[in-house]
Amino acid sequence: MIERVKRGLKISLSALFAMGLSMAFSVSAAPWDKLTGEELEQQLTQKFAEGKYSPKGADSCLMCHKRNEKVMDLFKGVHGATNSSASPMAQLQCESCHGPMGKHNRGGKEPMITFGRDTKLPAQSQNSVCLGCHNDPQQMAWHNSTHNLEEIACADCHQIHAAEDPALNPLKVNDTCVSCHTQEKADMHKRSSHPLKWDQMTCTDCHNPHGSMTESALVKPSLNDTCYECHADKRGPFLFEHAPVVENCANCHNAHGSVNEDLLDKRVPQLCQQCHADDGHGARVVPQDGMSSFGGGKSCLNCHNQIHGSNHPGGSLFGR
Amino acid sequence: MRFSLNLLTLALLSATGAVTAADFGIQHANTAKVKQAAYQCKQCKIPAVHTGSVTASLGYVDSSDSHAGNAFGTNDEGVVAGVDANVSYLNAEGYRSQLQAHQLGMDNGFVSARSGKIGEYKVELDYRNITTWQDEAQTQLWHHGGMLTPSESVRFVDLKLERQQAGLGFEYQINEDLNTYVRYDREDKTGSKSASLMSPRPINFAQPVDESTDKLSAGVVLSGANWMTDISYHGSQYKNNINHMSLPYAYDVYAATPDNQAHQLAVAGQYRLDATVLNGRVVAGRMIQDDNLIQVAGNPLQNWDGQVDTLDAKLAATSMLTPRLRVGGSVDYSKRDNDSSVYEFMQPRLSYDPLSNSFKQNTVLDIERQTVKLNTAYRLAQGYRLQAGYDYKQVERSYGEREQTRDNTLWAELDIRKFDTVRFEIKASHGIRGGSAYEASELTSSEEQSLLRKFNLADRNRTELELGTQYTPANWMSLDLTVHYAIDSFDERKGDDTVLGLHESRDYGYDLNLNLFLSDNLTAYGFAGQQWIDSEQAGDQANIWYADINDSFINLGAGVAYSGLLDDRLTVGADYLFANSNGETLVDANLTGSTSYGDYYSFNHSVELYGEYALSESMQLKLAYQYERFYDTDASEVGVDAITGLTTLGLGNHNYNAHQLMLSFSYIL
Repeated sequence: MIERVKRGLKISLSALFAMGLSMAFSVSAAPWDKLTGEELEQQLTQKFAEGKYSPKGADSCLMCHKRNEKVMDLFKGVHGATNSSASPMAQLQCESCHGPMGKHNRGGKEPMITFGRDTKLPAQSQNSVCLGCHNDPQQMAWHNSTHNLEEIACADCHQIHAAEDPALNPLKVNDTCVSCHTQEKADMHKRSSHPLKWDQMTCTDCHNPHGSMTESALVKPSLNDTCYECHADKRGPFLFEHAPVVENCANCHNAHGSVNEDLLDKRVPQLCQQCHADDGHGARVVPQDGMSSFGGGKSCLNCHNQIHGSNHPGGSLFGR
Repeated sequence: MRFSLNLLTLALLSATGAVTAADFGIQHANTAKVKQAAYQCKQCKIPAVHTGSVTASLGYVDSSDSHAGNAFGTNDEGVVAGVDANVSYLNAEGYRSQLQAHQLGMDNGFVSARSGKIGEYKVELDYRNITTWQDEAQTQLWHHGGMLTPSESVRFVDLKLERQQAGLGFEYQINEDLNTYVRYDREDKTGSKSASLMSPRPINFAQPVDESTDKLSAGVVLSGANWMTDISYHGSQYKNNINHMSLPYAYDVYAATPDNQAHQLAVAGQYRLDATVLNGRVVAGRMIQDDNLIQVAGNPLQNWDGQVDTLDAKLAATSMLTPRLRVGGSVDYSKRDNDSSVYEFMQPRLSYDPLSNSFKQNTVLDIERQTVKLNTAYRLAQGYRLQAGYDYKQVERSYGEREQTRDNTLWAELDIRKFDTVRFEIKASHGIRGGSAYEASELTSSEEQSLLRKFNLADRNRTELELGTQYTPANWMSLDLTVHYAIDSFDERKGDDTVLGLHESRDYGYDLNLNLFLSDNLTAYGFAGQQWIDSEQAGDQANIWYADINDSFINLGAGVAYSGLLDDRLTVGADYLFANSNGETLVDANLTGSTSYGDYYSFNHSVELYGEYALSESMQLKLAYQYERFYDTDASEVGVDAITGLTTLGLGNHNYNAHQLMLSFSYIL
């Protein structure tokens, strides 16, 4: 748990550092600092259309930028591979992503395409660079995803000038997610939760951060289908089905965590009594929790234990 | 609904005339003047063939409770050991392999291997072990082959589940426009879990778990200049190796979870037209379960032919009409059609009463859901962006107290990024749920209280507010604050102030996160968060009673790391985390007065102190100490025979201090 909190700090700090770095790059006197996002986008669009690429490729860029450790870290990752035809370094090299150099190297008066939180270039324009190559089923629903509509840039989560992209490491991806999703970060530490705080599971086991065609960017066609991936025993169909279970697991459970046992939204018997009020039984007053079969032990589940569905011919009340 | 669809159609039609957004994709690059032959990369630092690190850890665990294994990755006491690795291999031809391992040798860990050539093929192999420890149960039922045999001696069972997951995947790209993939996964789950049976009184018991799930996915991806489609199959088969549970005096008293399987065929696609992008998907599925039924009087079947057909379809579109204006929307249809057979089965009462047997049909539940969503985003000015949307959801059920529910929700969000040092996000939404007439259904239960409104079907007003700020006064500090408030209000019956079920639920809280980058060597962080969930409900047992449930949660953490010691070779750090979950229940039964439930809370302190020392460029030592203090209590958990007529699994509460000291040696390639 501590380990992942610490890594979360590292990610947050690396984001801070990246911001500082990018500020150092741009040098406060950079002429494009005063441009608005729209003006910057217009200039870069024009530059991109003119296609004035450098004469020597990467060496033209590294003449000035080779002393920057972050720049050179590109070569530690796949995007810096020169021997793979799919890599940007095997195509237009640095300019594959940062656009044509133009007159950028003559006094640094022309902007380049830059990435991350500190650039004014709109996220959609930044992302068009990445999507130029990364157009596969994993990103198929990106354009209609919440992350896209919230103008999240690929570079907000992914780092390519690095030996390893933390968003692709199962021990670090949760930290990447909870650096923004702080409520879910807290949920992981509640009384019951999926084992996310120890990185035994990842957020991406259930969600596709690039969007999906299911609510909440879930990886399967429905919420229940996503749960069945690991809880296939709840799938059924059962001879006797419990209606809210069949309809939506989230009717009773909060998958991110709960102060109640078993990730239940409310404790039993109150959770059950919010739907069941048969006189003298379902709506029975349970004044104390450990005093009778109605409040002690497993409460309602002492008798109705097959609450996810029963395959017993006499199991219509989920007791067998 | 009709109005909503027309709006969506209008939006889609408008989108066809959209402006072209900036697209810096390399396929659009103007390379007419590029002389790639002259490109050089003499200054590129191509890394060694092998990169990464391998770590071996040896440690000592002092713990009196196996529950600590959740945090430590193993519940072994005494000496523990594990191996971690993160190694990459890249050769001159562009082949790349990667191996990552974590805590190999412990009860929680994984190993993952990838190998292939980008744009040609990829092989992936994964193994993951997830073990979770719950409580220690006390039971006098000894299990063997489905028979639970009572004994005078008490059996102590760790309620733990171990999942061993393995997967093998292969991806082969035939050409630029045609890609194929196949992946097989298997999970074996073993252990014990808490369960309960009736014979004739409730007896909690430790149910053995031994089950497996096999999954297969395969697909073909076709793509063109501005389109892509993915045609795939997904299959899943669940097998339970534990049979029905019996007692010596009650045969097959508890039905085993039946084997089942599910199959899905999916076609998904994307079409891009300038600044407009369309996504669509159709998934047809079938879930099958035909396991043998327990043979008892009143059961006409040897096995039941359970079959549910599903259909999920979606069409979504988004378009940048102008650089400032985006519009989008989606239409979603989902159907669950239960085609299983219906028969009448005798239903003995749960309590022992042989005279009350009755026959009941199994209910086949059908659900049909339609969703329409519209959204727009408009940049009001530089740094100000307004989003708004409308969501409509209609659910029809073939059963239950309400055939149809309809949810209408309006939402809006204002993002302010005008200032260099501070950002604001303000979100608000209001939703109303209504629907067809609410009537207690004879199909589900003839005894249901007619005044009850089930919370997932009842009329409901939902209002949510959220405020987020990110304050970055300097590049060495950031402070984030998020505050949220949500209220669900369930309508009262017209002209009747008696409402049974959930009345109201409020969920509110805040999260505060501070990150400090004090120098190149010194970093620190802190966070604090609280959440409250308050619910009010009512029931009726001769008289109306009320229950207030007040759940609360607090989460605190802080840490510091300093790396400037011994010529920057030594890094030391400390981290602390505190979490406290609490649930309070107050029942007001009017005539008998109000009563509070007993303690129901848990808290956890975690501390880690560590030091990392670089022996050389390629070797590193780490010494880490981890302390876990865990306490939970639940007044509903009582002794095995503390309640007359009920046999429990005893007190499963935890109260422990656990320590782990770990020495790790890393070799950096």
